[in-house]
Amino acid sequence: MAERRVTVMAEVGLHARPAATFVQTAAKANLDVTVGKLGGQPVNAKSILSVLALDVRQGETIVIKADGEGADEVLDTLVAIAAAP
Amino acid sequence: MSTTVRAPVAGSAAPLSTVPDPVFSAGMVGPGLAIDPPRAPLVSVAPIDGKIMKLHPHAFVIVGDDGRGVLVHLGIDTVQLRGAGFSVLATEGARIRAGEPVVAWDPAAVEAGGRSPVCPVVALDASAGAVVPLAHGTIEAGDALFDWA
Repeated sequence: MAERRVTVMAEVGLHARPAATFVQTAAKANLDVTVGKLGGQPVNAKSILSVLALDVRQGETIVIKADGEGADEVLDTLVAIAAAP
Repeated sequence: MSTTVRAPVAGSAAPLSTVPDPVFSAGMVGPGLAIDPPRAPLVSVAPIDGKIMKLHPHAFVIVGDDGRGVLVHLGIDTVQLRGAGFSVLATEGARIRAGEPVVAWDPAAVEAGGRSPVCPVVALDASAGAVVPLAHGTIEAGDALFDWA
């Protein structure tokens, strides 16, 4: 299981454009991807409903996990999206 | 079982592709329809029966008992207004029926501030083919907007 921690930098948090881009990217991956707040329950990163429900605000840290071939690559891309201002 | 999603505001129904924001017009958030509201103070209502999962002044998500979530976004880039001009009439986490009030706002004021008051209504996590429009052109709040198969 590969894992990354990243602080969400977008002013709107993980909503709107950042959320849509994040979920679209995760959905393209041919493996399970989860996202959660630090210490919180992970949710399916491929579900826009689940990601919006997380309600991640600017400055909050999220944990993204993926398992399988290419997991590191997927996680690096998702980290870049989440960390983008 | 299919879900009938109702218009959260009155106005003119149009394809999501007409929304001046690529996040919605390209279907990145999901499929749905847009409504261009009249430029007068109005009350937006719940599009489906369910629970108010997220309630922001400028946008809300209602989740039905079947787990399907519908996003209503009141205008484009309206998160930047930080709630100014919007009055929340419901409570996050509460149950609500389709047609019951959620947020009061003024599309004319949004437009006067240089933003589009167009409201995307989006079926979250739905495939593009799952949404069948039931309205085109003038509709009232509460009218059937699209069918979510």
